[in-house]
Amino acid sequence: MAAPPGYFGRALAVDLSEGESEPLHLPETMLRHFLGGCGLGTELLRQQAPAGVDPLAPEAPLAFVFSPLVGTPLTTSAKFAVVAKSPLSSLLNDALCSSHFAIAGKLTGNDAIIIRGSCQRPSIVVIDPDGVRIESAEQLWGLPATQAEQRLRARLGKSYRVCAIGPAGERLVRYATLSHDGRHAGRGGHGAVLGAKNLKAIAVAAHKKVATADPTAVLASAHELRQRSFGPATEKYRELGTLANLLAFNAISTLPTRNFQSATFDEARRLAAEEISELRAVTRNSCASCSIGCEHIYAVHSGESAQTARVEYENVFALGPLCGVSEADAVLEASRRCDDLGLDTISTGGTVAFAMECVERGLLAEGWLRFGDRDALLRAIDEIGSRTGLGELLAEGSRRAAIEIGQGSIAFAPQVKGLELPGYEPRALQAMALGLAVNPRGADHNRSGAYEADLSGEHDRLVGGREHVRAAIRTEDRAAVMDSLILCKFLRGVFADPYAEWAGLLGHVTGWDVDADELEQTARRIVLAKRLYNEREGWTRADDWLPERFLSDELEVASGRAASLPEGRLRAMIDEYYALRGLDERGLPSPGTLTAVGLDTASGFGEGIRVAHDRAARLDNEAPRPEPHPETVGIRSQRWPSPSQGKRKPSR
Amino acid sequence: MGTPKASLAWHGLPLLGRIARLLARSVSGPVVVVRALDQALPALPRDVAVVEDAREDRGPLEGIAAGLRALPAGTRLAYVSSTDVPFLHPAFVRRVIAGAAPGIDVAVARTNGRTHPLAAAYCTSVLPTIEEQLAADLLRPAALFERVATRFLDEDDLLADPEVGLHDPRLDSVRNLNRASEYASAVAEPSPPVTVEVFGALRAAGASSPVAVRAATLGAAAAASGLALDEHVVAALNGDQISRDPAVPLVAGDRVSFMSADAGG
Repeated sequence: MAAPPGYFGRALAVDLSEGESEPLHLPETMLRHFLGGCGLGTELLRQQAPAGVDPLAPEAPLAFVFSPLVGTPLTTSAKFAVVAKSPLSSLLNDALCSSHFAIAGKLTGNDAIIIRGSCQRPSIVVIDPDGVRIESAEQLWGLPATQAEQRLRARLGKSYRVCAIGPAGERLVRYATLSHDGRHAGRGGHGAVLGAKNLKAIAVAAHKKVATADPTAVLASAHELRQRSFGPATEKYRELGTLANLLAFNAISTLPTRNFQSATFDEARRLAAEEISELRAVTRNSCASCSIGCEHIYAVHSGESAQTARVEYENVFALGPLCGVSEADAVLEASRRCDDLGLDTISTGGTVAFAMECVERGLLAEGWLRFGDRDALLRAIDEIGSRTGLGELLAEGSRRAAIEIGQGSIAFAPQVKGLELPGYEPRALQAMALGLAVNPRGADHNRSGAYEADLSGEHDRLVGGREHVRAAIRTEDRAAVMDSLILCKFLRGVFADPYAEWAGLLGHVTGWDVDADELEQTARRIVLAKRLYNEREGWTRADDWLPERFLSDELEVASGRAASLPEGRLRAMIDEYYALRGLDERGLPSPGTLTAVGLDTASGFGEGIRVAHDRAARLDNEAPRPEPHPETVGIRSQRWPSPSQGKRKPSR
Repeated sequence: MGTPKASLAWHGLPLLGRIARLLARSVSGPVVVVRALDQALPALPRDVAVVEDAREDRGPLEGIAAGLRALPAGTRLAYVSSTDVPFLHPAFVRRVIAGAAPGIDVAVARTNGRTHPLAAAYCTSVLPTIEEQLAADLLRPAALFERVATRFLDEDDLLADPEVGLHDPRLDSVRNLNRASEYASAVAEPSPPVTVEVFGALRAAGASSPVAVRAATLGAAAAASGLALDEHVVAALNGDQISRDPAVPLVAGDRVSFMSADAGG
């Protein structure tokens, strides 16, 4: 059956252990139900991952998932999702990344590329017009992702786009990233998942085309959306980038400081974009197909060589105020090192700040690790990246470290479900407090943008209630659709009637007669599908909660008012959230809820994807068989030997 | 003055709108407006309740009783204000409320020897006493003060509060407007001095922040900063609540922070 426009209707499953790949047919019903990106990735993971699998086990799959809008001229659409079970949370993890890899990956002719199994020696996977092959990564192992990417492109050709892990992923740091072109699929430890597979990188070269249903309408929409993207809704991202949050958040007691012991940082000004961008901003970058250009590159004055660092609010908050460090050079250098090592800056900062508080309380003996000490911060990052010294413990993340340290330290480990908190103080943003607690991924600001409600002026941000719950659900639903289409959420402010406009874009691309109501139902379906996956993996209601610190310690905002989040208030908000989502008191969807969003078998949910052998065979004949690359240790085939195997394995 | 006091404008906002919003800033509970029967009122925030006097022309106790009756069950205390006090400061309101400590039924401001029954905090428990007085046509508030535990807050008591001393040293919170000349004089006064911070991309290149401006409303502060409150711009008042409402009243000492409405990071 032909795939709908915007899709290829297939995924490529690559098994590193078996040395084989197989195309999987993706039925149109599945594509329409889950769209792409995070939504489709959730369903693929449910089907492909063995229940209860160890995230770092060979059989744990990791999927690069594309989406219907990728490859169109629609601004900010060049994004892809990476979906796997998280080594931090042992639950679903869906992280987004951007730029040319999204386009090239999709134009290998696949809506998703699923990696499973493991290699016995460091390897890479190459997918190009010649098929799929595995090559040695011996000379790349130990390199930062950016360098590995450069070397691979020099070796394979400029038409290849590369997603790679850094040294932290190789060493299985549980919050290691996976990156492309300096952008990271940052949260939840996908880098460790690939590291556990001995896979340094995946290189893809585009060689297919994908049709759209109405190219003229797509082009017109792209032009119009691009014009809107130059307007005031995205000004913040263009002018100063997300670091513009820092001083503003400090003014409203929302800037987590010293491991969430405070929500204001006296020296915030020293790290503020308003103060340092003119002196340090070197340039501004855009992802492929993006007209916003949010990425601000700052000069780092550290050591003798000239260095630069990508600056975002989250990395500066986490490596600055959260650790009590106010020196811009130190924070930028810390951020640069995290990028080189392939470490999630939020989890790194959160885990280091947690350890600093443990030292302050006498729970850890590493007296050198003090709040505000720039050298200590840099040393901690190096030790985490190399898993040496204290880094062996901190590489496990704050939750596992707290369990190891004991003595009640879990109360102030800044995590939900194992994922460290982003830079939004939950006591001062109580819609966000709910969003952080119930998010399937853990403490995360990308799948729940409930802070929007807190900062809208519509509700009292210090006293969460029913309206906060409704607002939090609205932001979750919108994110579910944007992360599945995929469109960058920095664009969200330009849509006056989001679901209707997104339905219009999707309709132009796919030819589907999709409307706003259908997309709103799709949003609810995707959110619930994530819950279903997590429930299968052992999630319980107790996981939808915040650390004790946030429920027992008050903060004072500048007006003198107390910001407190009593346990009963959070519980009431969660109860209300469950009720509005159609979940029972355990947080699980009722049969009626599943039917309402098409997650029942009668709606086709659970229909297994099947191996498309007929289509695969035809694809195999489309390109001439190439000469093996000198470093190629396997050859293009539906099956190939991995570096460790040396010879082809028999077919299953 | 030719116009009902409630509708008189002071620096761009009707007096009633200003006072209702100032009280909302000052107390944790709801705001209730008591009007005469069928009295036309200027626009009010949607969460302000409006009730009517039970009987007309019976003085302040009739209105106080109507207001106390309209409060949610369980409310212990209400601050009562007239509408013609444009210089009312939240610190003054909080000081008077603090005066109604346990054992006190009414805390009332008294300046220059004059008692201000409409600048006072009343425990809801005094409502039966007020109703008894109304039934007996004892309409003077002074009679109530004699019957219940009343604390009179003189200048020294009021100014002992550091915030009141700093921002309302002349106790203009009780300066009301009974004559056209008093209104004209109030209008001639400059808007309150406030501090404005502008964050992120909203700050014009080279502009300094924070700066001192005079503004009686959030909208005026925005205009003074070259901004307009819209879907892209919000303001935080004293680091606390976020608002897009240009009618939010400002008082001396306020700090306003303008920031992008998009807090994505």
